[in-house]
Order: sequence, then structure tokens, then C-alpha cells
Amino acid sequence: MGRNESLEILPGTLDLLILKAVARGRMHGYGVAQTLKTLSEDVLEVGESSLYPALQRLLLNGWVTAEWGASENNRRARYYTLTAAGRKHLNAERADFERMVGAIQRVLESA
Amino acid sequence: MSTIWRRFEYWLHRDRADAELAEEMEFHRAMLAAGGASAAAMGNTTLAREQARAVWIWPWLESVWQDAVYALRVMRRDKAFTLTALAALGLAIGLNTSLFTIFNAIALRPWPVRDPAHVVTAHRLMREGGAAFGIAEYRYFASHSRAFSGLTAIRNGDEARLFGRAVGITYVSGNYFRVLGVGMERGRGFLGEEDRSGAPEGVAVISHDLWQERFGGDPEIVGRRIRLDEIPLTIVGVTSAEFTGTNPLRNDVWVPLAARKLMRPNDPSVETWLSGPDQCCTPMAGRLAPGVTRQQAAAELELLLEQFRKANGLSAQQARVQLAGTAWIDSPRKKKQVVPTMILLFLAVTLVLLLACANVGNLLLARAAARRREIAVRLSLGGGRLRIVRQLLVESMLLALAASVLGLAMAMVVPAAVLRKLAEGEVFHAVPDFNVLAYTVAVAVLSCLAFGLAPALHGTRAGISAALKSGAETMGGRLRLRSVLLALQVAISVILLVSAGVLVRAMQRAQSIDPGVDVRRVTVLSLDLPASEYAGPRTRALTRDLQAALDQAPDLPARGLVLNPPFANATYLTSFRPAGSRMLTIFSNEVSGGYFAAVGMRLVAGRVFTTEDSGRDVIIVDEEAVRRWWKGQYPVGQDVFANGKMRRIVGVASDTYANDLSSVETVLYFPITGGSGTPRLVVRDRRAATLGRVAAMVKQLEPRAQVRAEALSAIFAQRLEPAVRGAEFAGFLGLLALAIASIGMSGVFMYVVGQRTREIGVRMALGARPAQIVRLVLGSTLRALVGGLAAGAAIAAGISAVLAHALPGIHAVEPLALCAVVLLLSVAVGLASAVPARRATRVDPVRALRWE
Repeated sequence: MGRNESLEILPGTLDLLILKAVARGRMHGYGVAQTLKTLSEDVLEVGESSLYPALQRLLLNGWVTAEWGASENNRRARYYTLTAAGRKHLNAERADFERMVGAIQRVLESA
Repeated sequence: MSTIWRRFEYWLHRDRADAELAEEMEFHRAMLAAGGASAAAMGNTTLAREQARAVWIWPWLESVWQDAVYALRVMRRDKAFTLTALAALGLAIGLNTSLFTIFNAIALRPWPVRDPAHVVTAHRLMREGGAAFGIAEYRYFASHSRAFSGLTAIRNGDEARLFGRAVGITYVSGNYFRVLGVGMERGRGFLGEEDRSGAPEGVAVISHDLWQERFGGDPEIVGRRIRLDEIPLTIVGVTSAEFTGTNPLRNDVWVPLAARKLMRPNDPSVETWLSGPDQCCTPMAGRLAPGVTRQQAAAELELLLEQFRKANGLSAQQARVQLAGTAWIDSPRKKKQVVPTMILLFLAVTLVLLLACANVGNLLLARAAARRREIAVRLSLGGGRLRIVRQLLVESMLLALAASVLGLAMAMVVPAAVLRKLAEGEVFHAVPDFNVLAYTVAVAVLSCLAFGLAPALHGTRAGISAALKSGAETMGGRLRLRSVLLALQVAISVILLVSAGVLVRAMQRAQSIDPGVDVRRVTVLSLDLPASEYAGPRTRALTRDLQAALDQAPDLPARGLVLNPPFANATYLTSFRPAGSRMLTIFSNEVSGGYFAAVGMRLVAGRVFTTEDSGRDVIIVDEEAVRRWWKGQYPVGQDVFANGKMRRIVGVASDTYANDLSSVETVLYFPITGGSGTPRLVVRDRRAATLGRVAAMVKQLEPRAQVRAEALSAIFAQRLEPAVRGAEFAGFLGLLALAIASIGMSGVFMYVVGQRTREIGVRMALGARPAQIVRLVLGSTLRALVGGLAAGAAIAAGISAVLAHALPGIHAVEPLALCAVVLLLSVAVGLASAVPARRATRVDPVRALRWE
């Protein structure tokens, strides 16, 4: 596995990343994948088989809502928007995640 | 809760959601392709879609499964609770299901014909009440109607002898089997030309059962000749086993309408019945033509009816025609008869179910309290409250489903046995079917919510910290709910028991009524004559001969002839217009002179009929008629308009309850002629020797006659049977309710004692006396019982007031019944609290203080 290839996303963090992407504004599924790819400088690549179940999960929990709209190339696309509950969840998850990452780093950096 | 709602919404619109997901992923691929990705890089789309869809359903199903497994484990662990709850619920659900099975079998099943949804029965509604149609009318409808793809007429309830045994005959129009689409096991149904009123043909179709029982399933049955009442008929077909006929009676043989003339060659009324334009009483059914509504078809029949009457010189009738389904309950007249009774019965069994639910709810409540630690631990480990409520509800649901399996098992056995006992002559298939299953599941779910929801919410209400503090009993709220449930059980028991008491008293009163005839000493003898020769002139001759023979045997006890003996399930009506009154329709009967003395009636004025009166225009009235229309002056010798002409009143007889046990109804007596039907004999004796002599007299006049003797007291008891059965059933329900409630009370007392063991120990250590302990522990519960008793008594009083209004012979207030109920309940409460009270006073202070 070369250094430039994409990485598997850490289990449990995909929902968080999608929420974060959607928090930037209304976007469709493909847009979410592209955003994650761009923001992570091509490190994170999300396939359909994990993206769409995750989106359905977010819908089920009421963290995002979906509506149909016209895409940039004038096709019908389904756009996701963050809800108030979603924003709350994002903030909570993010705080937890940062604590976790900090903790892991402290362990790894110890001599 | 909102995720459950969203899941439900998803499930409702799952097709649209699927399509949306597919489109969305299609879009994704298109964008990828535009970006230059290869198909292989995109992966398996179908799999991805499946996984995305599974998000909505799988985790949920999986967790419900886990809940169910856990619930089973809990139920197994708590055997005493599970068995008690199952017994109470199973009985209550079984009762409900059994009643519904009976109701379903009698009233809800459509005819066993092809596509029954389009088959309707026709009813003529007039201001004076309903009636069916005449055959001439039917033939006119059948040839002119366009709204039906076929109309058929049916005469039910005749009997004839085949190989010396009675079989049920149904006369049907020639197209009956074709219109209804009845399958044939052998041969064929009738042809149209086999049912022409002018040219009857002796053909018959027999039922699958008769074919098996009497003909041993003879494969060469078609074309065989049989003799029904000595009349030869040719069998043309055997119906399929599924076809049990279009009425609840035994249908053994079907014969064309026109062939009734062959079956009863000497009966002049058959010709009138077949072709008279102003006849009634032959039920009609039809299959609606495609696209025709019931309203349209009914309107067409109304039109044709008026056309027919005009063409035959009859006055316009202004009758409405109503088309109804083929189930028993659909018939407008039967609906009116049966629905109120059914509502009462269902109300009663629903009360029992409610009681069982309150009972199990109480047990669950007690258990939820015992499981507070478990629940608190789960709450503190992050289990959502809803999640735990769901877990508890799954337990309740399992309990309810297990109980409904018991209930269904009961419904397999009980209804068939009950119907066999209550409706001997009729054939119902009281096997649970899809309707019954659906009903049972609905009852189970509702009762699960009724008994499971409140305890589940209650059990998870207390905060974590409060619940984890061991032994700190903050029982306020829970105790209140438990008291309410307890009071509810007592109240329902009281309601059922008091209602039963009221019915029992009403029945006792009915049995002690003096019906105006001597029930205990009279015997009624019925004659079974070969129908092919009787009906008509020979019946008249036999009546005359019988009367003469009875007159010539002076050493016999009082005896006479009568058309309609007391308490027989038939009514004869006639027109009657006393001076200064409008035309009335009142009960009538035909008797010989000896009848009055034979049944123990008195003649208060004038004379009885003599042999010469037969055929003369004379009548006898009763005292009730004298009170009503002659101001108490005996009108002997006066003339009055009755049954079409002026007739002389020759006597006044005493009153009877013979037709309706609730009140005296006036009856008009005519001299018996035999013209209205076969006479019966009444003898004021029950000894076999006397009855044998009378039977021998009949045999001498007609050797082929069969004589059946029945004590009047037996006929009377039969008449009272519905009331007796009703009272029995109410009593059974009441006692069952009491039993369930007692188990419940006992359980709750037991639990209260168990829970307060430590407190009791402390108090005993401090010197409390046993009596004080018992009062302390059971006092609050007893208050709930008294409350329930009072509420139940009040509601029961209301119900019996309604009953008293609706049914004759019922008194709203029955002090005896009420006292008995209160006594019974006190005993039950005493018994239920005895063991727990004993246990309370046996608490060992030392052990109690170490408890937990």
C-alpha cells in the first residue's frame, strides 16, 4: 500500500465527517463524497456502499433532512441539510472525538 | 419516539423511498462516470443499495428479537407469575374468542357459494313489517330483471321421510345451483325446464353428507330413484362437500319449486303458493350483474314489483326492496333480533377481559417494583427509558400472544360443544377461521396495551438514584395505581355478579308465574301424517273423526283438540274488530270444546264449542278481551267481526300467558276444523296407559300416523330455556370474574406483605400486636375494595335499570341478589387476605431486619 493511496475511514467517524460536510451547506451525496475527498486532500475516499447507508442512518436519526433539487448540471439530485438536532449531535461528537484523539496522541507520544 | 415514527413513515412509503435511493445512487454513478471513474471502481451498487435500505429495518428487528429472548427468560424464571397471568388472560381471551367464534359461525359467514360478495338476498319492507316474495312474483322478476345475472327462489325448512327417517328438504328454483355457482360432486344441478309450475318433474339433488351416510357414497348414484314420503324422485346430482346449503338448517335434499306439487298432491294450498299473485314468504336471492350496485338492483325490483301488481290487478303496495348480503346478520329482521343480545354478551365477556387485564396489570406492577433494581441498573448503564418500556411491552405482548394461543385452543372446542347443545337441529361450522384469528390477535394486542402500558411507564418512571437506594420504598404513586386496578376488578366482579343475580331472579319469577294453564298435568300429542296424502280434505275428515272418537270415550280424563298448543313456538293471527274499534290483528287459536277443561282453563261465561259448532261462525273470547273491549260485561250472544265475517260469541274463557310469557295477550278461539293444519291432542293426564289408549285411537283412524307425546311442562321448560341459559351464562361469568379477582387480590396482598417485611419487623420488635400489623398492611387495600364495591354496585344498579327497561320480568332492584353478591365478595376478600395476613403476623423481627 503506497503512501499516496486513500485510507479506510476510522470506524464510527464516517457519520461525524458527513455531518461536518453537510454543515457547510446543502449538498447531495456525490457532493459529500467529493467534499470529504477534497478537504482530506485525497486521503479519504468514501464509496457508495458506506456513504448511502450512513446517509440513511442520519435520516433515520433525524440529524439531516433530504429534499430533491436541481444539480449543477441540471439533473435531479437529492440534497441533504443539517437539522438543529444534527448540529447538536455534531458538536457533541466532535468534542468526544477530539478528546479521544488527544488521548490517543498522548499515549502514542509518551516515551 | 421520533425514530420509531420515522421508521413507520419509511415503512408506509417504502416503495417511494426505494425509488428515491435508486435514483440518488444512479446520479452518483453518473457523476463518477463523468469524472472518469471506471465501472469496477464504483463497486456493487445493488449491494450498496441493500445495505442502505437495511439501515431502516434490521437493527430494529434484531433488537426486538433480543427483547423477546430476554422476555422468555424472564417469564421462565418467574413461573408463578407467568402461570397466574396466563391462566387469567387465557380464560378471558378464550371466552372472547369462543363467543366471537359462535357469532362468526352463526351470523357472519356468507353462503358457501362462488364469489359470495356479489350474491344478495332480497327483502320486501312494508310499513307493517317485512316479508319475502311470492313465487309468481319471483318468476316475473327472473324473466324481466336486467340488474341480476340470475335470481333464485328458495323455500327452507320442509321435512320428508327417506327410508323411514326425516330428512330436510329445500325447494329451489331451477337455476339455483347455476346462479350460486355450486360445485357438484356427481351429476348436475337442476335445469331451468325442470322447474316449470305447470309441468313439475320429480328430480332431486342430494347433499354430500346424505350421499355418504345413506347411500354409502354409491358412485352410481346419479339416475337412482328414491322415495321421499312415498313419492318417487330421480337423483340427478350430489353437491360438493363444501356446500352446506343457504340456510342454517340441515339441507339433505333439494327439489325444484314446482315439484312441491308432486310431493303434496292433495294440498290445494300448493297451487296457490306456486302461482297466486299475492303470496309471500319465499326468500329470494340473486347474483348482481357486473357493475350493478345494490341500490340500482333494489330500485329495479321495486319497479318490477309495482308493474307485477298492476298487471295482476292488485293495489299498489308501496313496498321498499332492500338487498342485503347472504350472512345471517345481514337479514334486516334478524339483525334487529340478535344484535342487542350480542352486544350484551360481548359487553359481559369484555368486562371479564378487562378484569383479567387489570389483574395481570397489577401483577406486572408488583413485579416492576421488584425489578426496580434491574431497571435502574439498565437505566444507569445508558438504556433509554423508551427502550426499557419497549422491553417491558415486548414481555407483555409475549404474554398476551401465549394467552391467545390458549384462547384459540379453547375456541376449537367450546363453541362447537355449545352450538351442539343449543342448536340441535341446525348445522353450524363453529371452527375458528381467519376472522376468528384476526379477532383474537386484535384482542391480544389491545389487552397487552391495556395491562402492559401503565405498569411499564410506571416501572421506569422513578429516577435512577431513587431506585438504586435499596429498600427505600417510595410507594405513593404506585400504590394508587394498584388500588385503582384492584377497585376496578372488584367493581367488575360486582357488576357481573349483580347482573347475573338479576337474571336469575327474573328466571325464578318466570318459572313461578301462573300461565293460566295447568302446566304440570297436561300432555300434548302431536301427529305425524304422511304428507303426500294429508293437508286438505283428509285432514278435515281426520279432525272430525278424532273429535268423535274422543267424545265416545267418556272414561278418559279431560281431553281435546287444538291447533296451536300452549307455548308452541308458533303464532296464529286473525283480524278482529270489536264495536267502536278499528280493525285489529290479534292472536287466534282453533280448539275443540274439550280443550279448555283439558288444559285447566276455566269457562267464566257461556258455553264451550260442541261438535256441531265445527264450521259454524261462533267464537269464544277471553276475559282480557272482555276487559278491553266490553268494559267487563260478558258479551255472550253478541256478534262481532272476526276473521273476515260477523261471528257469534258463545263463551268467555279465562286468560292465558300462552303466547308471550311477559304479559297476558288476548286470544280469540275458533272451533277446530282441520282446515288450518293438523290438529294436536291434549290430555289432562301423564300416565303412559292413558297416552297409549289415545295413541291407539289415532292409529285406528290412520294406521300410518306417528304419535309423539310430550309433557306440557317439558314444552314450557323449553320455552324458558333461553332465559335459563342466559342466567346460567351470566352466573358463570360472574363466578369466573370473582375467581380471577380473588387470585389477583391474594397476589397483591401477598406482595404488599412481602414488600413491607422490614417495616413489619421493626414494628413487631417495637411491640406492635398482630391485629395492628394486619390493619396496617391491608388497610389501604381494603379501602380500595370498598370503593370498588360501591362503584360496582352503582353501575350494576344502572345496568339492571336498563335491563328492566328492555326485558320483561326483570326488576331493577333485587335486594336479595345484591346482598348475596356483597356477602360472596366479602367471603372472597376474606379468603384472599387470610394467607397474606397470616404471613404478616408470622414475620420474624430478627430475620426481617437482616433482610437484604
